[in-house]
Amino acid sequence: MKNFNIILGLVLLGLTSLSVQSAEIRDYHKEVIGKDCKACHDNGIKQFPSDQSCLQCHDVDELAKKTARSEEDKWQNPHNNLHYGKDVPCQECHSEHKTKEPLCSNCHTFKFDKHKG
Amino acid sequence: MSNIDLLGRRKFIAGLGIAAGAAMVAPAMAVSEKADGVKWDKEVEIVIIGSGFAGLAAAIEATKHGAKDVHIFEKMSYFGGNSAINGGLFAAPGTPMQKKEGVEDSVDRMVNDQLLSGRGIADEALLRHVASHAVEALQMTLDAGAEYHPYLQQLGGHSVARTYQTSVSCGAGITQPLYKECKRIGVNTHNRSKFEGFLVGNKGEVVGVKMRQNYHFGEEQPGKVLNIRAKLGVIMATGGFAQNVNLRMAQDPTLTAEVGCTNAPGATGEGMFEMFRLGAIPVHLAHIQSGPWASPDEGGFGYVSNYSIFNFPHSVAINRLTGKRFMNEIADRKIRADAELACRDEQGNPLPPILITSFKDSKAHPNTEKVIKYNVGWKFDTVEALAEHFNVPLKALKAQIAEYNGYVNSGVDKQFGKDMTLAKNKIIEAPFTVVRLWPKVHYCQGGVKVNTKAEVTDSLTDKSIPGLYAAGEVCGGIHGVSRLGSCSIPECMVMGMTAARSIMKV
Repeated sequence: MKNFNIILGLVLLGLTSLSVQSAEIRDYHKEVIGKDCKACHDNGIKQFPSDQSCLQCHDVDELAKKTARSEEDKWQNPHNNLHYGKDVPCQECHSEHKTKEPLCSNCHTFKFDKHKG
Repeated sequence: MSNIDLLGRRKFIAGLGIAAGAAMVAPAMAVSEKADGVKWDKEVEIVIIGSGFAGLAAAIEATKHGAKDVHIFEKMSYFGGNSAINGGLFAAPGTPMQKKEGVEDSVDRMVNDQLLSGRGIADEALLRHVASHAVEALQMTLDAGAEYHPYLQQLGGHSVARTYQTSVSCGAGITQPLYKECKRIGVNTHNRSKFEGFLVGNKGEVVGVKMRQNYHFGEEQPGKVLNIRAKLGVIMATGGFAQNVNLRMAQDPTLTAEVGCTNAPGATGEGMFEMFRLGAIPVHLAHIQSGPWASPDEGGFGYVSNYSIFNFPHSVAINRLTGKRFMNEIADRKIRADAELACRDEQGNPLPPILITSFKDSKAHPNTEKVIKYNVGWKFDTVEALAEHFNVPLKALKAQIAEYNGYVNSGVDKQFGKDMTLAKNKIIEAPFTVVRLWPKVHYCQGGVKVNTKAEVTDSLTDKSIPGLYAAGEVCGGIHGVSRLGSCSIPECMVMGMTAARSIMKV
């Protein structure tokens, strides 16, 4: 019985580790949201959040100002770009539980040094 | 009205579909269904699938003619498709700028250029229809706020300068104004909405569509599927399939995944497949065009494509092994792409040719500064430095440039028969700007058969499938073997407008 409890404990610990790993969260979001999955998952846990979810806390106009570039390169602003203006949803370049490259990288060699994929 | 049971022919069509996309895997292909007993989640007047030039133009035109409830569905998270990333080059005969510049042009002349490029199998009726209404489409863009460079361009295969280009040298210079106009006039737009199939009535007519919500391209996830009734009609404006490697290889085995592609990632052809299931006729699927202006030094369409398109008329393309020209730099795309692909080193490996332009001429286009800045183009003060950088035989190169400059002065290219009109007074001299060229998969001439009312033809009855319309690159046969540059925007927009007019019975 004692051995069984030890084994059970190890299994549960393993499951917990897997569980934590499968929903890894950015440090900067962990600080603000903690473990409240529903803060972002407005479509339920099994689906991607809606594109409006990020906008509960982030403002695209503010972001466009922060990432503005010189007049010569103004349309390389990832948050207000030539092809789509301010209309690219956050999830297209930013992923919470995985990493993503900027959409622009499909065709361009722009530098996005502060991009957090 | 067709009384044929369209869906009963699934096995026949599936055989064709399997052959065309044999290795196709997830996501599962859409499946159309009978609409009997369907519970509608939503009822609208017009459903438009796809948000590029064709879809946006259709929405605006339908609303202008009285439609009250128009909906655009886009499977990607952002709107515009390939239209938002293309070169923004719009050909039309009889335009205000042509009149101002004294350029003689006509519907006949434009159609003849296209028939020649189509190598005898283009659809003259459709080409004529598009050319006849191209100025109307151009006007729609101007009315919506699009702006253009103050000069015409003459692209490969065109006999005269007839091409406008947006002032941002990109299709977004048109899609953004059109998209904003859609919003302004009350068109409903839905992103992340994936078309999952048609809903077909008792008479074989299209009465609605199935749309999956919260779709994330390339991911598997269980968004809900809605049954949406289209009371007036469905317009398929889903674009081409250049990004579908399996389908393009089924047509041309050399178009492997290693061959670069200029398209947006969503150009995979599912909408076209579903129309085939309904009975649409496949036309010219094997004619897949590569862009001869593309660069091996950047992804997709990038900056070099527009740079090259602008500069080809007054530049020389040089085979780096020989130091010689190897083609007419403004021939049509197929001639040039094939000629470029033939540029090889001694071992037969690809040796991308170079395009040499005088800086005094290339600097007129905004992309010149960008190609240099992002290291996909180069500037040289001497021909010696240029030849050394690209390992080109110097003596042969000098001789070729001198020979070509003779043609510039005389107005006659005895080497390749290039039309020297736009090269007048533009001799090749230092300083030079240079880019490397290597073709990328760009445009699918093939698609579903349509008529000049944008109606989709049924393969068994040779009549139109009621309730179903198609416009833009998803249609086939119009351009024949090779589409001329800048002829896609007028086609997409005119046929989008035509679909709207057919539905609204204008």
